[in-house]
Amino acid sequence: MSTLAQTRAMSQRSVLALVRQPALVIPSAVFPLFFAALGTSSFSRAVNIPGFPEVDSFLDFALAGAIVQGILFGSITSATALATDIETGFFDRLLAAPTQRTAILIGRLAGAMAYGFAQTLFFVAVLVPFGLRITTGAVGLMLMAIGGLLTALAVGALMSTMALRTGSSEAVQGSFPLLFVLLFFSSAFFPRETMSGAYRRIADWNPVSYLVEGFRSLTIGDVNATSIAQVVALPAALAVVTMTGALAALAARTRRG
Amino acid sequence: MSSTIAPAWGLAMRSLRNIRRLPSAFVPALMMPLVQVIAFSGTFAGITMVQGFPTDRSVNWYLPLAVTMGSSFAGLGTGFAMIRDLQSGFYDRLRMSPAGRRSLLLGPFIAAWARALIAVVLVLIVGVTLGARPTSWVAIPSLIAVGLGTATLGTGWGIGLAYRFGDMRAAAIMQLTLFLGLFLTDAQTPVDVMRGWLVPVATVNPLSRVLALARQGFIDDGASWATTIWGLITLIAVSTATGMFAMAGLRHLDD
Repeated sequence: MSTLAQTRAMSQRSVLALVRQPALVIPSAVFPLFFAALGTSSFSRAVNIPGFPEVDSFLDFALAGAIVQGILFGSITSATALATDIETGFFDRLLAAPTQRTAILIGRLAGAMAYGFAQTLFFVAVLVPFGLRITTGAVGLMLMAIGGLLTALAVGALMSTMALRTGSSEAVQGSFPLLFVLLFFSSAFFPRETMSGAYRRIADWNPVSYLVEGFRSLTIGDVNATSIAQVVALPAALAVVTMTGALAALAARTRRG
Repeated sequence: MSSTIAPAWGLAMRSLRNIRRLPSAFVPALMMPLVQVIAFSGTFAGITMVQGFPTDRSVNWYLPLAVTMGSSFAGLGTGFAMIRDLQSGFYDRLRMSPAGRRSLLLGPFIAAWARALIAVVLVLIVGVTLGARPTSWVAIPSLIAVGLGTATLGTGWGIGLAYRFGDMRAAAIMQLTLFLGLFLTDAQTPVDVMRGWLVPVATVNPLSRVLALARQGFIDDGASWATTIWGLITLIAVSTATGMFAMAGLRHLDD
């Protein structure tokens, strides 16, 4: 079996797991929508405060945060599945078989990528009837879906590194607060321009701010070089770094046997 | 009476000792309100610029929310512990002991009150460090009352569900329902500042009155007897209901 065929088989397995066990993915699909709905009602009048970008409604502003939130939490699901494979011994059986090592990892991440892509389109589809307007139209939406896929790959690889290093699904689940903090200390829920002091500095340094703002500029702004760089190039660059880490973790685990 | 108090005290002490022995079960519940007060106060700092927002310090608005959330989850923590005891068979042995049924219920409540007070004190320290300033002397008594009250309702709800389900499904239900209950209020902004679907929901949600009690010493409008009385009545009513739910669950377990 070629490497490509192996990767396809492993990818199919991880995507089918998401379809067959909806309970695994429902929280990362429902919670961001709930927060978007909550924020739209709670912060509707905040759109008029100084520093807030020009938007028709808070919902337009909230979409980007919801997408990135969903992808971050969805990536934990994918990495938890990898850790569970290690815990149950399935991973060892794969290593014992003549399987390409990279196919195991990439196959598992394919589930996260497919979910990130689908999640982006799902959030837009659910929120459009409630008044969401994407100023960049179909082109912007497609760029966002690709961005969702790449972000899922970048974060999924990071979480997979943790899964491979620890071999513990509990440890992977335990990273939830870290992602929560990364998300909240960014411009996911409110613009950086309205923050001050240390919060503003942290949000300025936090890469999640730039990811979110890329999605946001495609929702409420234009398709331009900056927005494409933020939505496509930034997660792609992050993915290169995190994939390198994940492959190194895979090699280390393989050596340990 | 001593046949109730002594075993209840023993169970409460056991639960409190578990904070040291099993910190992974308590620390996340404690970290959550701390992260919440820090994150919300900074992220949503700009919301105080909206006309009609009752304080110019965002931390004054979000500190009472974090206390309420932390205390109610301290109560739920006893529900998680109950699930562990039910699954390990320890609770069956307790039920066969001569300890009265009331003591089996009272023990978790005492433990939850102690855990809630830890959460109240720590959130208060962090909040004040971030710039929270009470506007009335009732701030601290109100926070303590809400801390103890929400710990009571969280415990009743948590152990009631644990008795009925007996496994980790109960943990998911307790967290989700309490989380939704608390966020479907004026948790993030006052009702006067909101627009849309949340306005009627937050207006009828009794937990909005509990949050109003917790906040009354931190907002510019100041404290009032009406806020105090309605907040306390709501806490007592909801706590009684969840306490009865727990009691019925224990009876259900006996059957």
